[in-house]
Amino acid sequence: MTDTLTIPSRPRAFRPATTEPPVIRRVLIGVCLVVLTVLLFAPLIAVFDEALRQGWAFAIASLSESDAQSAIRLTLMVAAIVVPVNAAFGIAAAWAITKFDWRGKAWVITLIDLPFSVSPVVAGLLFVLMFGANSAVGAWLVASGFPIVSALPGIVLATLFITFPFVARELIPVMLEQGRAEEEAALTLGASGWRTFLTVTLPNIRWALLYGVLLCNARAMGEFGAVAVVSGKIRGQTTTMPLMIEMFYNEYLSVAAFTMAALLALLAFVTLTLKTALEWRYADQLAASHRH
Amino acid sequence: MNIEIEDIAKQFGATAALHPVSLFIPSGTLVALLGPSGSGKTTLLRILGGLEFPSTGRVLFDGTDATGLTVQDRRAGFVFQSYALFRHMTVFDNIAYGLRARSRKSRPAAAEIARRVNKLLDLIKLPDIGARYPSQLSGGQRQRVALARALAIEPRMLLLDEPFGALDAKVRKELRQGLRDIHDTTGLTTIFVTHDQDEAMELADLVVVMSMGRIEQVGKPEDIRARPKTPFVREFITA
Amino acid sequence: MTTRPFTLRNPTPMPGWGLSFGIMVTMLSVIVLMPMAVLLWRGFASFGAAEMWAVVNRPRVWSALALSFRAALVASLFNLIFGVLLAWVLVRYRFPGKRLIDAAVDLPFALPTAVAGIALTAIYAPNGVLGTPISEVFGVRVAYTEPGIWIALIFVGLPFVVRTVQPVIEEIDRETEEASATLGASRLRTLNHVVLPMLAPAALTGFALALARSVGEYGSVIFIAGNLPNVTEIAPLLIVIRLEEFDYDGAVAIAIAMLAISFTLLLAINLIQIWSRRRMGAV
Repeated sequence: MTDTLTIPSRPRAFRPATTEPPVIRRVLIGVCLVVLTVLLFAPLIAVFDEALRQGWAFAIASLSESDAQSAIRLTLMVAAIVVPVNAAFGIAAAWAITKFDWRGKAWVITLIDLPFSVSPVVAGLLFVLMFGANSAVGAWLVASGFPIVSALPGIVLATLFITFPFVARELIPVMLEQGRAEEEAALTLGASGWRTFLTVTLPNIRWALLYGVLLCNARAMGEFGAVAVVSGKIRGQTTTMPLMIEMFYNEYLSVAAFTMAALLALLAFVTLTLKTALEWRYADQLAASHRH
Repeated sequence: MNIEIEDIAKQFGATAALHPVSLFIPSGTLVALLGPSGSGKTTLLRILGGLEFPSTGRVLFDGTDATGLTVQDRRAGFVFQSYALFRHMTVFDNIAYGLRARSRKSRPAAAEIARRVNKLLDLIKLPDIGARYPSQLSGGQRQRVALARALAIEPRMLLLDEPFGALDAKVRKELRQGLRDIHDTTGLTTIFVTHDQDEAMELADLVVVMSMGRIEQVGKPEDIRARPKTPFVREFITA
Repeated sequence: MTTRPFTLRNPTPMPGWGLSFGIMVTMLSVIVLMPMAVLLWRGFASFGAAEMWAVVNRPRVWSALALSFRAALVASLFNLIFGVLLAWVLVRYRFPGKRLIDAAVDLPFALPTAVAGIALTAIYAPNGVLGTPISEVFGVRVAYTEPGIWIALIFVGLPFVVRTVQPVIEEIDRETEEASATLGASRLRTLNHVVLPMLAPAALTGFALALARSVGEYGSVIFIAGNLPNVTEIAPLLIVIRLEEFDYDGAVAIAIAMLAISFTLLLAINLIQIWSRRRMGAV
């Protein structure tokens, strides 16, 4: 025998074949933590730090200014319109796509995803071209007292475009996975279409729907580029919270800008917390990619 | 109720799932639709239940045309292969679903619904599981709950898609007898789909052997065993 | 076999086809398709391809387009590598605070871009918490230069690769890795030759999503970029500037150029993906 198996006198600590040496593990974890600190946590802390630079009273006072108040109201109103409309679209699209077999389905899914690969600025531009004062339709709308661009409808349309795929994308994989048998069972038991949807489908998709609505809402309240282009940025009228941040910032009203930003950061915080809670509690009822 | 199938065919796009088939099922019979996967047996069952529309042909229930009857109005007790129990409802609510879905005039009072559900739970010999959720049941229990749910609507016929398909051998044997008993007590025309020839031969009064969207032979189990009409039938029942 | 007349769908008793399909098609048309059609019509029919080319073929526009795509590529490549690493660490290792970190990865999805923009600027500005030490140690400025744009785009695209790769790592059958080890492969060799190829398709999907997102990104970039024409002026900003000058045709031309380049890139990535899936399928 030429080969001899040399057994080390003192065996090294046993390490499973499916992991890396402890040193490497520690280094990799360290690298991740450093990058995330520099990239994610530092900015988050900076927002609150800058907002409170001159104390709580000053920060809160900056929010009670009338422009700030109207920006908050506008943002809430836009979200209150966009989110339900988007949820209705998402449910309808997911129903048509998952409960029926038809030609061209893959194309429609691609088209629903299209807004993901369009720049927000271009999204805003689309509605300026369609309804702006330079277009025939737009000129007529302005003349008849129902302007879309530089008004609430334009902001809503641009935000709808940006958030278009959010709810549908959450619902389609979940409803595909759940199949059609439960709905068919309800029908054979005599339930009407609406009854079937309300008592069988909706309870099965409610957490996935909530998940999509959360993300849609976060994006709707935070959208900047598309709204910047389409809103005309009229102070106190068509200025949403993110646009107000830019205005304060450009006017060197740092505390006001960062306080408004802190308010939106809190929204992000709530969104993330609820989203994570959903992922932990209802993993089995969300799309497979959210189960971890 | 007797069931008449007249030249029923079904196309899915360019492929024919069913070539025109005709069949008469006398009232109260326990029928097995037997065949390999892709033979069209599930499609035929779903057409009877109103879950698919036939491309051509007619279905008659007791001599009246039921082809255009909606799935809700057919009152076919349908047991799905996966059972399709409503996962967010208790067993009780699952079984009560069809009664509660009725229009206000014909809907029984809550106490009457409870009485009927409990009677059905007794019939499937699972009297104490009303408060449980489907995920807390064994496969065999789920199958029986699905059966009870289908029976709750006082169906005109019972349609079962591979009712024993997802169960292990021992439970399968027990539930076969259970289905036979329920058929005998209710007297309902009952049609079940299976790919297992033992199951069909042992359980059914009438066996319909299908292949490639066609009916190969219809007959009593002993006749089919003794005189297989085509080479396919001979091969399939001896396999 | 008889040919049947064209039908959109097989008839079924499932209710709600008309309503759901109607809502879907109407909203898709009104919100997405008609506006996109108007853009293309404005560009090609009303303005003209040659005129659009004349607008795009100027140094300032070229440098803005090049900057947008270059910075997006740099940031997405960083996110591709770091995202796979982070996904691996989050799935395979155990360490305190892991669940918090996992949840925090989605912060860029939830935090409005304008907030991210001013916050990153505050930190990386020459007098910021990180900007000061970086300029003292390395002698480089981050904010108001191209690396500042990279930072903003890395932030925006961070979750994509992590979130597409994570579920794939969870589903890797560890026996494959064990098999590689029993055949005498070192851990590094197993990772390079066995694990990474399995992650490639998902990582590419995440890369494509991050790229699509960061090419058009506006809100988080304009605060940190400095916006100097020909140097740190991104293409979306140039569209905004054209619109402020009421030069709609110029804005349309740049927008169409951006869309054309994005779709070409995404198509290319899709083809690479199909190719790599096929290779995986053949194993």
